[in-house]
Amino acid sequence: MSVVEEHHLFEPMIVAFCCNWCSYAGADLAGTGRMSYPANVRIVRVPCSSRVSPNFILRAFQRGADAVVVAGCHPGDCHYVSGNYHARRRFSALRRFLEFVGIETERFEIHWISASEGNKFAAIMKDVTDKIRVLGPNRKLRDVR
Amino acid sequence: MKAMLQKIRKEAASVLASGEADLVLGWGKGPLWWQSYPAFIEEEKETGSLTWDPFCVPNLSKYLLEELWVKQKVALFLKGCDALGFNQLLQDKRVDREKVLIFGIPCSGLIDPQKVERAGLHQGLHSVEHQGGELVFSYKDDQKKEDPSSFYYDKCLTCRHPNPVVFDMMLGDAVAVNPQERFAAVGELEKQDVSERYRYWERQFSRCIRCFACRNVCPACSCRECIFDLTDPRWLGKANVLSENQFYHITRAFHMAGRCVDCGECARVCPVDIPLTSLNRKLIKDLNELYGEYDAGVEPEKEPPLITFNPGDPAAFLES
Amino acid sequence: MKKIKKGDLPLLWEHLARGALLYLPLNEDGVVNFAPWQKGARVNLDSLNTVVPPKNLVFPQSETYVHFEQKADALDFTPVQEPKGDYILFGVRPCDVAGLTVLDRVFLEDPLDSLYENRRRGTILALACNEPDQSCFCTTFDLEPGFAPAADIMLWDLGEALLWQAQSAKGVALTQNMDVYLSEATAQEEKTAEQLQVTAAAAEAAAVREQEWALDGVKAVAKEMFDAQIWESLSRRCLGCGICTYVCPTCHCFDIEDFSRGEQGERFRCWDSCMFKDFTLMASGENPRPSRKERVRQRFMHKLSYFPARHGGLHGCVGCGRCVRKCPVSIDITQVIKEAGGLINRA
Repeated sequence: MSVVEEHHLFEPMIVAFCCNWCSYAGADLAGTGRMSYPANVRIVRVPCSSRVSPNFILRAFQRGADAVVVAGCHPGDCHYVSGNYHARRRFSALRRFLEFVGIETERFEIHWISASEGNKFAAIMKDVTDKIRVLGPNRKLRDVR
Repeated sequence: MKAMLQKIRKEAASVLASGEADLVLGWGKGPLWWQSYPAFIEEEKETGSLTWDPFCVPNLSKYLLEELWVKQKVALFLKGCDALGFNQLLQDKRVDREKVLIFGIPCSGLIDPQKVERAGLHQGLHSVEHQGGELVFSYKDDQKKEDPSSFYYDKCLTCRHPNPVVFDMMLGDAVAVNPQERFAAVGELEKQDVSERYRYWERQFSRCIRCFACRNVCPACSCRECIFDLTDPRWLGKANVLSENQFYHITRAFHMAGRCVDCGECARVCPVDIPLTSLNRKLIKDLNELYGEYDAGVEPEKEPPLITFNPGDPAAFLES
Repeated sequence: MKKIKKGDLPLLWEHLARGALLYLPLNEDGVVNFAPWQKGARVNLDSLNTVVPPKNLVFPQSETYVHFEQKADALDFTPVQEPKGDYILFGVRPCDVAGLTVLDRVFLEDPLDSLYENRRRGTILALACNEPDQSCFCTTFDLEPGFAPAADIMLWDLGEALLWQAQSAKGVALTQNMDVYLSEATAQEEKTAEQLQVTAAAAEAAAVREQEWALDGVKAVAKEMFDAQIWESLSRRCLGCGICTYVCPTCHCFDIEDFSRGEQGERFRCWDSCMFKDFTLMASGENPRPSRKERVRQRFMHKLSYFPARHGGLHGCVGCGRCVRKCPVSIDITQVIKEAGGLINRA
């Protein structure tokens, strides 16, 4: 398949790490509320946004993700009191660092989505998917074997 | 230089004789001019083999991890950068300060053998010494004198802590602190376009031979079991392919975020000259910008930026 | 003998690259390694040794040899298409040519390693060393810095030109129809090359004479060497990294692993290092080389004792000096030879 063809047929693969207590419930609400969002998103449920190791994000890119989203409770709302505060620092630094080694910032996003924000979840996933559709497939970090 | 060597030998002999320490970590000299290596001295009579010359670059503090299992008290010599590494081990609770006796060595910079070679001064070279403000290269029949500034390790040119920040006894007068801007190379890379930067790092990481020297030499790498050695789950495969190399280098650098003391040992030992310092310094620079200045290895009691937080922290990922 | 003016080399390379993949020592970000030549590449024939030896061309650091896929009825295997086409290796130093000879003993003897055999078909143009480095000690192993008998073509650097001598059928074949680039060398030039060869060998031998003597010692005391004190002291400072083994032109240990994704994957072999703790780690958790002492001893004993015992006296070291130069803590095989060889006096 040529690059042009690939771009044309391109369906982004978005991996979203969602915290169990807020963002995953938010995704659930989007579903039960019948809000539509792109089927390009693959959700991985994690206990807390701070459970997400940078390795998870790198591994997702290695195995073919075009973008990675980490979603957690709003600051102050963490089920474990401070997990998302730690995640905020960690991923602020990581996002800049990935950009430094050449990964576009559009491909790695962090969002706070509460259990009641089904609409926000759907809107973010649509927004990310649209952006990646324009940006095209990611080949950086990908293990091409 | 000679005076310092005498002090090193004298202190080593004295702590071994008095029983204050049962092991002294210093440097010994090999037959070739650049070979100054970690030496383990247990007998007073062996202290004459200790050396101090412009190539005593290996940091001795990481050996404490193993030696303190069997030794009661270890005395060691630490230069400025080494002391930062020692403090990092202290912060990571990997060494017991009570079991260590530190002799601080103020250091005005060490000599990079590669720079000597590039200047074509290496053929037939016997030894290199600081004398006054000059660097003296000794050959079989003659000597050459050069300005040392063009031979220092890059990491020494940007050194901000040439005087050890932790010691029990300082072996010399403090040296002047006059570092070059350490974030210059990072700044240059930041100016590039993101794809250009990707190609730059792609080239660097492709050259990696996966020897793990950068990890093994690092004073902030002291995990008993390293993620890169795990076979189940196999986070890092053994194939030398770009993707695995990228995974290795990004993870290594990020694991050091907020804990890297910027001693530059990783870049020094890299056999294929990957500019690892730029990765570490990018993280130092960003963390300083986002969460306030933090100098790893200087104040081990202060929490590193990534294991703490402030409710009012900026969310830098909202920037595009 | 023939010669080629240095100024004509880029034209020659262009010519050679048309018929085969041409590898030369190229400078990338200040690091010189063998890489495929392209017009405008930064060739460096002056630095003695490349950082990584050319062994990675015949024995790549990672090499996939079979793909597998779970089909409905069975697991399907497809051998990886072996690389085709000839290649030329230009500017290999004599020690590295000797390194390939060592690898040949491992991979080309029974059982034959077809992956290696397939990659070993290249034509080798060796470049004599006029001025060996202080860390060079090839003469310890009866090799010459100025001559590589196993090369297809031998080159000597005469300053303005390279002297060119074909030494094998492949070398003769390559030399034919090259009159555009090559001219006849004068008797004087041949004599100069001969002289350079002698002085280079003498200069290096003078520095390592003590080791040659000690090497006999190593042979005599192989058993005693195993229990020598030196392993304790050397391993104490060893960082346990793999630099020495990966920059070595003769180290050839490898591991086999699978990379799989879903229903398909591939099996590859890749360099492994006896300096890593998982090198001998068994599934049960048992490790016959539990500490750095056993690992450091293994590396040196393999090169100096086990390998020659098994391969008719051929040592598993060619004295290129890479490990001596690159070891971050100056662990030096020449010191091992001297110390261990010195045992003969004590034994």
